[in-house]
Amino acid sequence: MSEPLDLSLREQAAAIAGGEVDAGDLLEACLKRIEERNPALNAVIETFPDRSREMLAAAPAGPLHGVPIVIKDEWPLPWRAQRFGAAEMLAETAPGESGPYRALRDAGAVVVGVGNMHELGASSTGNISVYGPARNPWNPERCPGGSSSGPAAAVAGRLVAGAVGADGVGSIRYPAAYCGLTGLKPTFGRSAMAGHHMAEISTTIVSGALCADAADCRLLDSVLFGEDLQAGRPEGLRIGVLRGEVSEDVAPPVRGACDEAIEELRRESGGEVREIELPELAAATLATVLIANSESLGGVTVEKLNDLDPELSPIGRGLLKYRVLLPAIATIKAAQVRTMARRTLAKVFEEVDVIACPTVPAVAPPLEAPLVELPSGTLTADEANVRGGALANLTGIPAISVPVGSSEGLPIGLQLQAAWGRDELLLDAAEALERANGRRWVEALPPSARGAEPLEA
Amino acid sequence: MEASDRSDDFIPAGLAAYGIEADEIELAVIGAAHQTFWPPILELLQLDTSQVPAERDPDLSQAPPSR
Repeated sequence: MSEPLDLSLREQAAAIAGGEVDAGDLLEACLKRIEERNPALNAVIETFPDRSREMLAAAPAGPLHGVPIVIKDEWPLPWRAQRFGAAEMLAETAPGESGPYRALRDAGAVVVGVGNMHELGASSTGNISVYGPARNPWNPERCPGGSSSGPAAAVAGRLVAGAVGADGVGSIRYPAAYCGLTGLKPTFGRSAMAGHHMAEISTTIVSGALCADAADCRLLDSVLFGEDLQAGRPEGLRIGVLRGEVSEDVAPPVRGACDEAIEELRRESGGEVREIELPELAAATLATVLIANSESLGGVTVEKLNDLDPELSPIGRGLLKYRVLLPAIATIKAAQVRTMARRTLAKVFEEVDVIACPTVPAVAPPLEAPLVELPSGTLTADEANVRGGALANLTGIPAISVPVGSSEGLPIGLQLQAAWGRDELLLDAAEALERANGRRWVEALPPSARGAEPLEA
Repeated sequence: MEASDRSDDFIPAGLAAYGIEADEIELAVIGAAHQTFWPPILELLQLDTSQVPAERDPDLSQAPPSR
């Protein structure tokens, strides 16, 4: 048998259930690997070996019995309040049993560490955190993606086989694309959310899995959903390809890999490709940002803004203060755009099963200067990434990022989006893509992972 | 008055109206954010949405009800 830590999530679970791997040994090996590999990645910002051992000792039989999992610094644990990657949060937090924690515990999983994240969840890059940035295992000078930077880097670096992230504006899918993972943003409201400091306020944030491949995501997301996400084989998949900048203002290698993957998916499913238009997409992108930012304003007071922790980054402090200047009329318009986009999508999904586009338009940019070169010119990664990432959060539909290629030794992700509640179809389509490309990209390992094969375009 | 001048006024005036203090670095960040967000916000405000009532408490887990 391979080194148990290098098994997939489902293989680890099966090996423990079958008595081939001792869960205690796996936990200790995982803690040791975090000690060895994490200093170069800064993916895991806290471990609590005694708590993890206690969790294992009390773990019930379940689909993830004894399997180590990393959870993002966005969820409270009974022994630790979340810090949201920041020196200070405007929301009150306290240790507690969050929904994802309960789901993991009840499935027998072991929370082995907390994953780093971009400060206040405010970027697609992951390059700012009170703990220092997490680093991309494919190249530690590059961004791991955000805001679920640590969960992605932990899985890509094979510290663990599965991690729980959160996605408010693309925050699972961006790091999945940058780190060569599969990451599902579930349909709004379908995955565990209780205990999140925005649970009662946010209309965009969901929890979701980051794993090496779709079958592992299916297993971990089944736990987070509290229901079995049944597998199927998509037949005659109708693939809609978005026209416009989200598919066209894209670095040529990314566009080439995504076009090729779309054709592979079409062939594998015996389906068809149609061009589609979403005239509200540009407005929808802004609307998502406006809604996500305004929803977090409830806990803001002038006194708090004038007394921010000096350890918050200048960008974090400036953005918190800028939010109060956003005009109310724009937020009202944003709600109307949400209605328009949802209605348009409902019609589009009568014609197609999935909408395909690059998850992000360029590979992971440098940590020091997260800029991307696109046919239209140089943009900040955030400006570029939000074009493809926002729609699913605005409208509530599920979306998945699947690794489909590489450029500059860095992974490329394809995003598939489906109608409300069709999360299973996205996992099925991701598995169809894996079959079509011989699992080449989901099995590629970063050079920093032991036994790694170099990623070649 | 040039648009950029108005923008330069908007930020300090807006912050002052709320009594929010900001240092030079924060003002630079806010200025950059404003340059990014304000043009599309103005475009958004031009959008005729008079026939589009916002969904009341939309159920984002499902497709919108057909009209």
